[in-house]
Amino acid sequence: MSPQTGARILLVDDEPAIVRAVRANLGSRGFRVDVAGSGSEALEKIESHPDLILLDLGLPDLDGLDLIRTLRSRARAPIIVLSARGAERDKVRALDLGADDYLTKPFGVEELLARIRVALRHTLRSGTDEPVFRARGLAVDVEHRRVTVEGEELHLTPTEYALLTALVRHADHVVTDAMLLREVWGPEFGDEDHYLHVYVARLRKKLERDPQKPRYIATEPGIGYRLLTEEA
Amino acid sequence: MTPRMLEEMRRLAPLRGYAAALAAVALVSVVIGAIEARAHIANMSMLYLLAVLASATLLGRGPAITASIASFIAFDWFFVEPFHTLRVADSNEWFALVVFLITAVVTSQLAADQRERAREAADRARDATLLFEVARVLGEPDLDAALAAVAERVRKGLRVAGVVIELENDGVGQRTSAGDVAVLAGAEIGSLAAWIPSARSATGAGARWIRVMDPHGSNISTRDERVHAVPLQASGRRIGTLAIIRTSPEPRSADDRILASVATQLAGAIERARLRQRATDAEVLRRADELKNALLGAVSHDLRTPLASIVASAGSLRQTDVRWTDAERESFLADIEHEARRLSRIVSNLLDLSRMESGTLHPERSWYDLAALIDDVVGRLRPVTEEHHLEVHVPEDLPPISLDYVEIDQVLSNLIENAARHTRPGTGITVSARVEGGEAIVEVADDGPGVPSDALDRVFEPFFRGSFGGAPRGTGLGLAVARGLVEAHGGRITVRNRPEGGAVFRFTLPIEQPAKPRAAATAP
Repeated sequence: MSPQTGARILLVDDEPAIVRAVRANLGSRGFRVDVAGSGSEALEKIESHPDLILLDLGLPDLDGLDLIRTLRSRARAPIIVLSARGAERDKVRALDLGADDYLTKPFGVEELLARIRVALRHTLRSGTDEPVFRARGLAVDVEHRRVTVEGEELHLTPTEYALLTALVRHADHVVTDAMLLREVWGPEFGDEDHYLHVYVARLRKKLERDPQKPRYIATEPGIGYRLLTEEA
Repeated sequence: MTPRMLEEMRRLAPLRGYAAALAAVALVSVVIGAIEARAHIANMSMLYLLAVLASATLLGRGPAITASIASFIAFDWFFVEPFHTLRVADSNEWFALVVFLITAVVTSQLAADQRERAREAADRARDATLLFEVARVLGEPDLDAALAAVAERVRKGLRVAGVVIELENDGVGQRTSAGDVAVLAGAEIGSLAAWIPSARSATGAGARWIRVMDPHGSNISTRDERVHAVPLQASGRRIGTLAIIRTSPEPRSADDRILASVATQLAGAIERARLRQRATDAEVLRRADELKNALLGAVSHDLRTPLASIVASAGSLRQTDVRWTDAERESFLADIEHEARRLSRIVSNLLDLSRMESGTLHPERSWYDLAALIDDVVGRLRPVTEEHHLEVHVPEDLPPISLDYVEIDQVLSNLIENAARHTRPGTGITVSARVEGGEAIVEVADDGPGVPSDALDRVFEPFFRGSFGGAPRGTGLGLAVARGLVEAHGGRITVRNRPEGGAVFRFTLPIEQPAKPRAAATAP
């Protein structure tokens, strides 16, 4: 079906209904799913080197954020965090600790599959740095510092250009506010209240034809932004 | 000064008056002697009356009588012939001496009486001032602060080392000690010991302490500290104790009187505070009960409706004796997903509402472009508004606003969903924003029937559901949540009906002066 078929996914969740649904859906698409019902079980199963980890933040035995830190130190597999709505702060911290993406419960199967695809593709692609990024009419030529939409050149300020390239570097992945601040303004701006969102809004105004249906830059409320390379 | 010396001085204090009286008599004797050496003046003994008068006025009755007798003896000894004996040769001199003694004693009595009356008047003035101040500080709404203030006033007014106000267990709230109970508990304090809890129990639930000690109180030996306690009584019941801890051993009767007055005032104030608290508790309970009933109503209807359709659809799909067409299966599945998402939204709103009720709502603000937020929300809600004509009017030059994106997103979503839910398909909804009078104003206007005038001031109450021309719709949560979130941002939310028809929901957000952003490495 897709090149990732057969990828091994470690699902860390203690909710039987979710486990059943995710296992059935991923299994029917050729993924091999391993389940850990607790944090300690997850730490054991990480030894079998899964290709991707789906991690519920509310585990019975270990703090989800601590677990991310430990998993990150022992495995390079992408981590997608599953958590409830309203826990935006936890999600941001999870992402800043090294998780690759998140899904808000309750989530649909389509959303889950899309996130898994993106995360796995990123693993395959990481390391290759092409000089020109292209996605659905948007082209960012890093070598010549040129940005075009449908062949039309955009005039971006240095800040807007830096923001766009930061989003491009993490294409299809959510980028937290703190990550953007660090990458665009430098490490000392990591936690500072800033005009970040105002700059992103200006960039979007130049980039998007219809601001109510953004093609390229999606807002992740309370978390950050995501550059979309595929039709949502 | 060591405690021992202080103690010694206190013990000798009463004797000092007598010594001073004798010294005054000796001084007068010297003066008379000096005058007599030059010239004989009649009735020189009258000079001794000065010493007696001074003693009576300054030192009190005892020293004054001592001075009278000492003067009598000294005059006889030094100045009545034969000198240096107590014998009197002339019977006239005898008469003069006796008259002198009587005059001296009567004078000292009168002067001492005068002195005591002045002192009592001063005491009464002090007591009246103290009682007035106590009454004034008891007027303070915070009982704990009032009790602490009373303790301090009484300590200063009565010049005692410490004041304790103890309330018995059934106190208002469960606040415990203010003050160092350990020092007090370690002291030998007689009758108070029975009701002084140990330091441990004083910090636990139960008794409450308010205590004021002289800053030098710890220097005062606790051995001769005297505790004087009066009960606090209200409606015939003992509700606590007022006690003073003094350093001088003799309690004055005047202090008893004022302690009793303060105790009466205290008991009255405490009782009033308790009644007030009880009334507040009852009101809180009543409101909680109201909310709970409304919640139960909402849960029974709004949660059960989607649940019923989920259960029915899932059950249908599992039927083995019916062969559903693909379209039918798809429709059941769509129902399940649709209703489940609706349940999820209801639960989210309930969670938000409970966060507001418990006061744990703290916006995480950052600077945002309000126009971008409106675009995002309108774009995301397109499925909800696809049967309406939705227009957005936002000027290009809105200043950045400090807000919690998730929360204001929710406010706007709730207002737009509310408008879509309460108006007929095909009508218009307009979302607009502008700046006016130092705040940003966002309005969601519809072309629907408007809000009935009797519901205008109730639509933001939790679980209030409009039944505008039909069955009630919605959970009655969206607008209440919107109000809570807007108010947490320091804004206001209102609704009015347009004269030409339709409701306008409006919320404001204060525009703060942004902190000057630090120069970015790459300026825009």
